[in-house]
Amino acid sequence: MTLRIGSAQGFYGDDVTRALPMIEGGHVDIVCFEALSELTLAILRKDMLANPTRGYTFDLNIIARQILPTAFARKIPLISNGGGLNPLGAAEMIREAAVKLGLHGLKIAAVTGDDILASLSDLQAAGERFVNMDTGETLADADNQNFVTANVYLGAAPIVEALKNGADIIITGRAADPCLYVAPMIAHYGWAWDDWDRLASGIVAGHLLECTGQVVGGNSLALIDNIDPRELAHLGYPIAHIDADGSFVLTKTPDTPGVVTLETVKEQLLYEVHDPTQYLTPDVSINFTTLIVDQDGLNRVRVSGVTGHPRPDTLKVSMGRMEGYMRELIFTLGYPHVWGKLAQLKAMINESWRDLPINRVEYQLLGIDSLFGGIAKAVDDPLELVVRVMFTADHAETLKTAVRKVMANGLSCPPGMSVSGTTVGGEPRVILGLWSSLIARDKIDPHITYLEV
Amino acid sequence: MRRLYDLAYGRSGDKGNIANVSVIARTPQAYQDIKAKLTADRVKAFYGDLVKGDVIRYELDNIEALNFVMHGALDGGATRSLRIDPLGKSLAGILLYMEWDE
Repeated sequence: MTLRIGSAQGFYGDDVTRALPMIEGGHVDIVCFEALSELTLAILRKDMLANPTRGYTFDLNIIARQILPTAFARKIPLISNGGGLNPLGAAEMIREAAVKLGLHGLKIAAVTGDDILASLSDLQAAGERFVNMDTGETLADADNQNFVTANVYLGAAPIVEALKNGADIIITGRAADPCLYVAPMIAHYGWAWDDWDRLASGIVAGHLLECTGQVVGGNSLALIDNIDPRELAHLGYPIAHIDADGSFVLTKTPDTPGVVTLETVKEQLLYEVHDPTQYLTPDVSINFTTLIVDQDGLNRVRVSGVTGHPRPDTLKVSMGRMEGYMRELIFTLGYPHVWGKLAQLKAMINESWRDLPINRVEYQLLGIDSLFGGIAKAVDDPLELVVRVMFTADHAETLKTAVRKVMANGLSCPPGMSVSGTTVGGEPRVILGLWSSLIARDKIDPHITYLEV
Repeated sequence: MRRLYDLAYGRSGDKGNIANVSVIARTPQAYQDIKAKLTADRVKAFYGDLVKGDVIRYELDNIEALNFVMHGALDGGATRSLRIDPLGKSLAGILLYMEWDE
């Protein structure tokens, strides 16, 4: 009897209702929802500043109302890291929804302890330096201390404990993506915390599952000629059948669009992976170079032979810092003399902003060099140029003034120039800088809160 | 003239200011060819100004793929980048544009 794990979310905004055909069809034993990218928490901070009861992903409202009733009736636990900055607030929202839906006996678990923003000073006093992994700078030496998030990547342990305690839905904040998926395997099979090969294999399964559509035909260059484009809008999300030895079959929700082939699995295996011999997670270090992939029937790929090594002594910390604002304007220039008009546009903008504290200005020619810069071939005399101007400043007001000054030249512009109305009406966007560092494992103490209906 | 795309496919992704590009061979023969000739230096030179830092190559004989980890490839990373593709989703595709037969 294998353990069947479904994945119905790969980012904040994914279509979480793809969990329904998995659950209603009896195809899964548990469903996981992975909601947090590196920048999602900073977005959630903005929500929370506006309303302290928020700070979790809105997708959880859909999960609570549309998926939880069916899952609870069939005893299919749900796991989500969409609690973001406020797992307790999310759990309370779910409890209120469950009361209205009459889900008597429902047990909700909220995992906290990943958010260390309030204790950064204490942790520094206790010897943690939070050295920036990219620059080598210590946190204390940073000129800009305007941090709005600081979260530790937690491992599977608290989720395993909540599952063993009978939780029907488990909400976490920043848990490492694949650890959401390995947790039910550990709880089900009782794998030891130093059973490195099995843990590593479970993480590989989680890694393949956590980007939902990307392993069933989405974002697939290999299958560009083999997939009906209409299916991309309705892909059935992936399911892994995990064996007791950790090896697994990656497949998808039966009777739904999509494909699982050696190609889709290979494409996703290396997605956002750096050194494949030591892919670090809180629970185990994974070696991808020993594994074997085999086609095991239609839309079934078996993965075996994964090896693992002891987990690191440290946990990763991701902090988000306010670093100013950016703004976009898009101009169109047409034949004749487009290159001359582009030079005019740039000079006009430069003059208009001469006295403003603008930090960066970038000009990109959409359709010509915006994706690949210098790799693009030169174009002699195009009929049209679409010019994207990106500019930044420390303060949003500076950018608003900059836009007003450029627009004031609306009738004194290069001949035939137009500006995209939607970009004119846009707002400055916050620039969030990421600061990644490490922290000693023993400084972090996850906590589980249970709510019952 | 062949391009790398005739021999391989791939996918790119982001982590901070680092992009990784996988190059997955279509056949065992293609893998041997790519492994022999698609060096980290050659990849770094191909991307030019797009990649400011080091390019490190990893080999996965088991799935006949190479993984290139490119530092300083995302204009500061997704949250700071002013590029129209801040996540570097398109970076794998353009490497496959490389002319293959000298």
